[in-house]
This record gives sequence, structure tokens and C-alpha cells, in this order.
Amino acid sequence: MTVLPSRSEARLEPVTAQKPAAAMIEIDHVSHVFQTSARQDHLALSEISLSVADGAFVSILGPSGCGKSTLLYIVGGFVQPTQGMVKMKGKAIKGPGPDRGPVFQEFALFPWKTVLGNVMYGPRQQGAKYAAAEAQSRALLEMVGLKGFEGFYPKELSGGMKQRVALARTLAYHPEVLLMDEPFGALDAHTRTRLQNDLLNIWERDRKTVLFVTHSVEEAVFLSDKVVMMTGSPGRIRQIIDIDLPRPRRRTELLLDPRYQEYVVEIERMFDDSDENELRP
Amino acid sequence: MMRRVAPVLACIGLLLVWQLASLALKNDSFPTALEAIRAIPAILGDKDSLINFAASLRRMAIGFGVALVVSIPLGLLMGRSRTVASFFNPLLMVIYPVPKAALMPIIMLWLGIGDLAKTLVIFLGVSLPVIYHSFEGAKAVEEKMLWSGAAMGLSAAQRMIRIVLPAALPEILTGCRTGLVLALITMITSEMIARQSGAGNILFNALDMGQYDTVFAMIIIVGAMGISLDVLFERVRARLVRWSEPQFDIPLSFS
Repeated sequence: MTVLPSRSEARLEPVTAQKPAAAMIEIDHVSHVFQTSARQDHLALSEISLSVADGAFVSILGPSGCGKSTLLYIVGGFVQPTQGMVKMKGKAIKGPGPDRGPVFQEFALFPWKTVLGNVMYGPRQQGAKYAAAEAQSRALLEMVGLKGFEGFYPKELSGGMKQRVALARTLAYHPEVLLMDEPFGALDAHTRTRLQNDLLNIWERDRKTVLFVTHSVEEAVFLSDKVVMMTGSPGRIRQIIDIDLPRPRRRTELLLDPRYQEYVVEIERMFDDSDENELRP
Repeated sequence: MMRRVAPVLACIGLLLVWQLASLALKNDSFPTALEAIRAIPAILGDKDSLINFAASLRRMAIGFGVALVVSIPLGLLMGRSRTVASFFNPLLMVIYPVPKAALMPIIMLWLGIGDLAKTLVIFLGVSLPVIYHSFEGAKAVEEKMLWSGAAMGLSAAQRMIRIVLPAALPEILTGCRTGLVLALITMITSEMIARQSGAGNILFNALDMGQYDTVFAMIIIVGAMGISLDVLFERVRARLVRWSEPQFDIPLSFS
């Protein structure tokens, strides 16, 4: 059973040499209004339009409260937008589906299931035979570095391990798009770095489309092909920056790369500017 | 070792205090612990009283069982749907503070003094804590957990049964444990009010006839019944929700 395409196959095609990919996700003039506890309308997202190419790693970067997670939930079909629509491969998204796999900051594992049970849940739900689902799930757990922990309950795991399980659980049902909602936000710096590296390794093997929400500039630049910068209240797209750095990326090499540093500084400056503009009367 | 012996010592201590108090007071209506214990074999050896016990346990089992079947789904639905909750909440708030035994006269008027009336009272007594805990348990289920299930293709009904139910199970079982004790209490009180058969019937008939050793022996038997049921239930509970036990709280150190 092949869990993912082999590494060598993926390596032959660096991102820059790819043919112009078709749009996987199209976000079309999406606005979203929340009702606050004071029964006031709060415009969380205003007129967001964004196209995500097939196989692209796109980060949505912005300050907390800019609606970036809400945008991800709308793509996931978990939240219905007040206005506008989202299409996946040309078809309007009406609700959640196994073609879009979420990974949440809160892990959201099923605590009554073991690690293996969690990962097998999706394939079993999709109709896979027990033995096939088990074999595939064990392989995935090995890939995320959790071999030997199959029989543990989520409660027994550290945060980083839980997020590895959550990633394996989502990969197990082969979503075409990964929706990652600040997945490493609750982890300490060291664990966070390790998981970023592992995520990149996994992604570089099978090149799924990824929408990745974060508030860390370094994380966004390190991982992405494209960084979508958002500003808050109401959430708008400020700018979209292509990250033209070679892959496969190695963290230690990248940190020394002046182009990486330029991207980080450029983006941080732009956020500083918009902050000042907002503070001006 | 000491932890196992301690409860036994507590029981012996209690019986000793009882024995001494009874000897000191020399009151006819307060038999000694030994007299009460001596009366137990006679009760348990009597065919009539065994029939009475069986009738009690049957009503209790039916009342408890039906209450679980009705209350768990209702509580879970209330916890996940505001509409369902706002419909049933006022009703439950009215029923909640009313002692269920106080409803016995009306129920007897309608349903007679037979099994149905008593089982209904047990049902009412068990329902409220089970509904309440199922409601709280369902309300606390993380939204993102349900979203994860929805992304895997689970329908709303499947999410209810396969995510909300197991996630809320520890809380539901806490409600069931309270419900079990209440089932015993309402069972005895219902038999006290509508005397016809049952353990409560034996107890209060003995009281009327001044057979105080039987009264006290019955209290011991009913108490032992309650403790055994609780211990049995606790075993089942611990097995069902092993994954939520605090012994698993220590996370491993590995990123």
C-alpha cells in the first residue's frame, strides 16, 4: 500500500518548474458578519477574494482578530459566509467534506480513541476495510514519528505529539486540501520548529494544497509559496507576496539566506506601517 | 493493605457504637446491632420477603432503564440544540425542585397503587440528574471535534451518536450514578406511600407491628443493596471511561 507518492518522484518537479496550476480553491468576494454578545454586528471579513492554486502552500498571515481563522472555517464549510462564495475545483462549497481536511490549534482529537483509533477513524468512515485502514494508519503514524505510540490515549501525549496525531488523522482520509488553523500556535518554540520541519518534509513528498493560518511571519515565509497578508477590523487582504525560495527548504540553510531575511523584514515592515496607519486619527 | 481494611474497620466501629448506644439507652424501639443482624437471615430466608425484594428490584431496574433510554438522548439533544433546550428547560425547572415522592398521591390517583405508579416515580427520580449531566456533557463537547468529524463525512445524526455521546460519556455516567442512588430512594419511598409489595413494604409493616429488629435489619439490607449497586456501577463506569481517568493525566515528554 502506498501512503503517499515516493519522495524521489516529488523531487523531480521543483515548484518553479511546474506548469501554471489550476485553481483548487477560489474565494469570491467573501464577507462575514458576527453578532457580538452586545447584539451588535461585527464585520469580521470584508470582500475577500483569493485564488489558491493546486499544490500550493499558501499562508494566511495576520494579527489576532483579523478573521483569518474564520476565513479558513468558511473554506472548510464549517461556517457559512454572510456574503460571497467559495468554490473548490469549480464547485461551490456548501458544507464540510473529506476533500478538505482541517488541523486545528486545539488538536480536537477524539479522547476516547487511542492514537491508532483516531487515525483510523477517517478511512473507516470513508468505507475502508479495517485491515487496510490499520496498515495505512500505522504507516502514517510512523511517518509523523509516532511509531510505538499507537495504543496510547490522547491524554497521555504531549502537545506536539497530539498535533502529530491530528495531522496523521487528517492525512489518513486523503483530503485534497489541508486547512491548518494555527496548528503550532499552542506549542513551545522548540516543538514548533520540529513540527514545521516535519510538516515541510511531508508536504514536499506529496504536494497537497495547503491553506495555513498563522500569526508568525517567520513560519509563513519558511513554509509557503505565497503569503497572504491580512489586516484586521474588518479583515481585509492587504497584500499577497510570492515567496520565491528554493525547495526543498532546510531551516538551517534558510536562516542564513539573505532572501529569506528580506522577506521576513519586508513583511514585518508592512505590518508596522499598517499599524501606524490604524493608530492615526 | 490499610486502604482495604479501613472501610471494614469503619463498619465495625459504627456497629460497635450502635451496640453500646442501644445497651445504654435500653429502649424497646432501638434494638442492639446484634439483634438487628440476627434478624437478617430470617428475612432473607423467607420466600415472601424474597418475592417482595424481587418486585422492588424489578421496578427499580425498569424505572432506571427507561429513564436512561429517555433522558440520555434528551439531555444530549438539549446540550447541542438551543431550540430543544429552551423548550424543555422551563419544564424541567418546574419538576426539578418537587420531591418526586410528593407526586405519588396524584400518580396513585391516576395509575393506582400498582407497579406502574411506583415505576413512574422511580423514572422521574432518575431522569433529572441524568438529563442534567447529559446536557452539561453534550454542551461541553468541543466544536472543533465535531468539525473534524464533519470533515470525515459524519452526518449530524452520526456526530451525535459517535462523537457527542462518547465525548460526554464520563459526565453522563456521573449523572447515572446519582440516578442509581435516587432510584433506590424513590423505590423505598414509593413503597412506603403505596404499600402493596416490595422492600419498603416489609420495612414499614414491621414498623407498624413494632418489630423493631426487623425494621433495623431491613435498613441494613437496603443500605447494603445500595452500596453493592453503587460499587458495581462504579466498576462498569471506570471500565467504560478508562480513557478519561486521571491516571493518564501525566503526559509523556516527547515533542
